[in-house]
Amino acid sequence: MEDIIISTLQRAMVAGTPLLLATTGEVICERSGILNLGVEGVMAMGAVVAFIVTMTTGHPWLGVLAAIAVGMAFSIIHAFTSITLQANQVVSGLALTMLGLGLSGMLGKPYVGKPLSIKMEDWVIPYFSDIPYLGKILFSQGPFFYIAIFLAMASWFLLERTRLGIQIRSTGENPKATETQGVNVFKIKYLSVIIGGGFSALAGAHLSISYSKSWIEGMTAGRGWIAIALTIFALWNPGRAIWAAFLFGGIFVVQYLLQPLGISPNFLSMLPYIATLLILLLISLKDPKKLNAPAMLAEPYKRGER
Amino acid sequence: MKKWMILVLICSIFFIGFSTIVFASEKKLKAGFVYVGPVGDYGFTHAHDLGRKFAEEKFPWLETIIVESVGEADSARIIDRLIQQQKCDVVFTASFGYMEDTIKAGARYPDKLFMHCSGFKRSANVGTYFGDLYQMYYLNGLMAGALTKTNKIGYVAAFPIPELIRHINAYALGIKAANPKAKLNVKWIYAWYGPDKAKEAAEALIAEGNDALAFTEDTPAVIEVGQRHAEKGKQIYTFSHYSAMQPYGEDSVVSGQLMNWGGIYAKILEDIYNDKFTKDYDILWLAKEKAAILGGNEKDIINPKFVDDLKAAMIESKEFGKISAYDLVVKRYEQMKQGRDVFEPYTGPIYDNKGNLKIKAGEKATMGELLSIMYYVDGVEGSIPQ
Repeated sequence: MEDIIISTLQRAMVAGTPLLLATTGEVICERSGILNLGVEGVMAMGAVVAFIVTMTTGHPWLGVLAAIAVGMAFSIIHAFTSITLQANQVVSGLALTMLGLGLSGMLGKPYVGKPLSIKMEDWVIPYFSDIPYLGKILFSQGPFFYIAIFLAMASWFLLERTRLGIQIRSTGENPKATETQGVNVFKIKYLSVIIGGGFSALAGAHLSISYSKSWIEGMTAGRGWIAIALTIFALWNPGRAIWAAFLFGGIFVVQYLLQPLGISPNFLSMLPYIATLLILLLISLKDPKKLNAPAMLAEPYKRGER
Repeated sequence: MKKWMILVLICSIFFIGFSTIVFASEKKLKAGFVYVGPVGDYGFTHAHDLGRKFAEEKFPWLETIIVESVGEADSARIIDRLIQQQKCDVVFTASFGYMEDTIKAGARYPDKLFMHCSGFKRSANVGTYFGDLYQMYYLNGLMAGALTKTNKIGYVAAFPIPELIRHINAYALGIKAANPKAKLNVKWIYAWYGPDKAKEAAEALIAEGNDALAFTEDTPAVIEVGQRHAEKGKQIYTFSHYSAMQPYGEDSVVSGQLMNWGGIYAKILEDIYNDKFTKDYDILWLAKEKAAILGGNEKDIINPKFVDDLKAAMIESKEFGKISAYDLVVKRYEQMKQGRDVFEPYTGPIYDNKGNLKIKAGEKATMGELLSIMYYVDGVEGSIPQ
């Protein structure tokens, strides 16, 4: 029984890592007032680029960097349409997802099913990894796990404790007032979307070169959509995103443990969305102010208009 | 008439004449292949494609074309395309889920031939073929039962269809023959190709205490998990499936099964070429025809790393008395190569895991029964999901 609990928690951390990365990126992006539904597509692009670069060069970190660069460049499409052209963000985001899924499938065609022989060693933290229970769960994981936690905490610090963070948040709340303070709102929005794209691509890179060590079309398997749901579930806070992401990573892992009890795997894969709906419902009923959604989320900002 | 025009004329006459000679002298056959996974999956589809290449190299009159990663709902459209645009004479559909669409396509194109892999429905121009590995799973079961320390053995399964139930049961019968105390636990991942799902299912099985894992899905993910645990000092035994996966887990793979489709495809295509295709054409090849081969790579039937352990594990066998697991595996494998009438894992009495007698003592299951088997034998935990 003890083994099962430790192993489940350990696997939950691994499965939650890509969710955490993508959610953190989406939080930053949405805080600046831009809704990016393209997470799934950017993630797929990150996964395929990381896999191709790692496979051809033999250097996983080169693959990761390439994935981030491509993810950032790719999300500029969404930034351009939704910020500069002030188009409908839902449409533009959906287009980005479809484009990313299609393009990644096309680029990755020759790599489908080829296993990656390069291994990313686990980072076993000395001393800490000897702590009973926690050592195995938290301190002997793959590198992406630590990177994700660090980036989520850094993003929290960025948003809540720095000048740039205030600028991002106020852009999402009231871009006009922000602009009167001498802040370049367009620059801030572009920056947030691009950072968000980098995070999503990093999540994809984790999937292809560390988690499954292979590429197949559609391997993101809806994780991008879960990240968007998690952004709401975490109430736009990267700190809360940490435990939310690992909770849903746990749900993915636990479905195989619950199978002998006759619980349908289809039901379990619905859980993240049900939980998101529930939390929205509960908070809206109780105290809508606590929802904390950026006031101007998904509203195109037009300079000089009232 | 200008010089170059004469040259062109001569060339074209020569070319036309030459091409008619080629086409007239030799009957050509074009075969289309519909695959459920990518050819690089290192499992089922990979093995089929090796078989296709084998046949194509062998027969100069054969031309082949493949369509990979075809969803089971899309197969009708792809078959139409292969017949109408690619002008295929015969279409092979290599997945159980293509059965209905293949039968319907047969009715739509009565002058073309269709071969469906792993199904049980046939017609005048639709045949079936299969190479089954259940005998090898029995041998894997013998080894898993002999090696397990926890008496809990695991199996990662793709979809609840007769082929997999047959594998699971054969594995369980092998386990029971070697170690009646051991139980078999099954996890379903509902995917032929899902390395992430297979990985989590394998991790869940290991967490529950299962220390010997076999699987039927199309990736080496289970073996990678076993290898990772073996490197960390926890010995997990795994059994490779379909392709030579031992290189993914030299410290974990005990044995496994390899499928050789080359011979099967060559036989079918030769029959079609020589007009030997008849109504209700069916081919089922096992160990006897060398379609099913024991081993995690082409070289050894058992990983040398585990040979000593298997030689040390003694089993009480009705037929051979006290015998080492290694010798028993080798003996049974030899018997299987001689044919089903010499040794058959599905020989009664066989009870399902609810205690009902399914195969009477001394009787052997017919191939028909095995191709539609849908119950767990004694020793498998749980029930088949609906």
